[in-house]
Amino acid sequence: MTRLPGRWRSVLPSLGYELPPDLTPDSSSGPITAGIPLELIRQSISRREYWEIPEPVLEQYRRYRPSPLWRARGYEQAIGSRVPIWVKYEGGNISGSHKLNTALAQAYYYQRAGYSELVTGTGAGQWGTALAAACAVFGMSCTVFMVGHSLRSKPYRGSLMRLLGATVHASPSPLTDLGVLAGSGAADRNSLSLAIGEAVEHARGGQGRAFCIGSGETYSILHQSVIGLEAIDQLAEAGATVDTVVGCVGAGSNFGGVALPFFAAGPGATRLVAAESSATPKLTRGIYAYDRTDATGTSPLEAMYTVGSGFAIPPSHSAGLRYHGAAKLLSAMRRRDQIEALAVGQQQALTAGRTFTRTELVVPAPESGHALAAAAALAVGDGPLAPSRAGILVCVSGHGLLDLAAYDRSEAGDTADQAADEASLRAAVADLRPVLDLDLLDGAR
Amino acid sequence: MSGASRAEVSTLVKQLVLRESRLSIPPSAIADDEPLNGELLKVNSLGFLGMLVHLEDELDVQLPDDLFAGRTFGTVADLIDVVAGQVAGPSGDGGRP
Repeated sequence: MTRLPGRWRSVLPSLGYELPPDLTPDSSSGPITAGIPLELIRQSISRREYWEIPEPVLEQYRRYRPSPLWRARGYEQAIGSRVPIWVKYEGGNISGSHKLNTALAQAYYYQRAGYSELVTGTGAGQWGTALAAACAVFGMSCTVFMVGHSLRSKPYRGSLMRLLGATVHASPSPLTDLGVLAGSGAADRNSLSLAIGEAVEHARGGQGRAFCIGSGETYSILHQSVIGLEAIDQLAEAGATVDTVVGCVGAGSNFGGVALPFFAAGPGATRLVAAESSATPKLTRGIYAYDRTDATGTSPLEAMYTVGSGFAIPPSHSAGLRYHGAAKLLSAMRRRDQIEALAVGQQQALTAGRTFTRTELVVPAPESGHALAAAAALAVGDGPLAPSRAGILVCVSGHGLLDLAAYDRSEAGDTADQAADEASLRAAVADLRPVLDLDLLDGAR
Repeated sequence: MSGASRAEVSTLVKQLVLRESRLSIPPSAIADDEPLNGELLKVNSLGFLGMLVHLEDELDVQLPDDLFAGRTFGTVADLIDVVAGQVAGPSGDGGRP
């Protein structure tokens, strides 16, 4: 029987190169504050492969892990799959998603480092809920800036976060300069980048407060490795093999979590396919450049595949995927063709989600619908990528029980796909500094 | 290298801030009161934390979070003082020269 892993596994020693260093933005000057626990930084840059999971975090993991893995025979049949499709399901915890895996770890480290309040931004609300839960467990205050459009369409996300003790603000909010600017129409509204930017600004204003982030950072991807580590054991127990692993990508933590342990176990042996939203096609149509991670413009610039932090992202029911850039770790792997990517429209994702609901009796989050649609394309040989020949593992990163309105609108034919137009994409990245070969050499120091 | 003197820590810190700023000048050219993120040096918050981890490796020590949490670092000397205070060697000069 599969057991809960006692260690996270880092992919960094298996890459064969270092990640490019971050850049200091020209707008940044003045004193520096160390706002992240050192253990998280060690986990981001050290070449140590295995990291012991602290017992207080393991204790919480035991409430909901190992998460289930099953062969989705009903879904296979419904889509006409030529290969087995295995599902790893991360929706079975109070946050309804994989986000709790890193929220618990981060809250533990921040609390141990002496912080008393965590501040964050959230899109779909899964990360905000996860952090609220983790703060409740570790006795910390929690403040969440949630993309306003998303909060209004999913009010029970706000209810759940407040039930867990968090303070929730719709972004743009009147609490921050950035929010006021956006509220006046002078800046982008309703993006995850803005919500994160508000959280960064708010965190600077209080004693004992720290900003923390749910996806994209290398340490959060490390924490998510429990997904892939369990899946490897569970597939072995089932006597199954797969040649392809699929996950959806906002910044990349659930995809990294399910896929990178396969890479670490044997680089190149398994295809890793990132399913992104066609509304934010950073991995398929973006450029590899230094870009901002949030709307403040004061955080370090990271090397990432991006559609531009200033890109006006079209509306989507998958708020968790409405982020302009991919994690620098995944971006570096994409640059070297160590991962593949496929863009999926939201209608296609919701259709896949509906089929999955009716065949597997689990309602996937719309974000996870992108992964299911990509898995279907690979399973039947439809689309630009080569089909799977031996089997697919797909991560269903969360449940969609608080996204039923999106399914209703889709069912009523009220959901349009707004793929990013080429001219807007080019304009949004025009001023970014591309990552040069020199930067990659610097990263290899 | 635990038990390093303040001078050794100073040289190491200056090497790291130069590398972080992508500058090719000798550590001795950096004044103790040089701003970490100013006109010459360009150290960002994540780079600063990465430097601390490199310092741990070089000095063979583990720097506790409470040395840094809630504290601001303006100059090279601010960082040297904190690290030297943590690893003060037999020369006994963990403080400023």
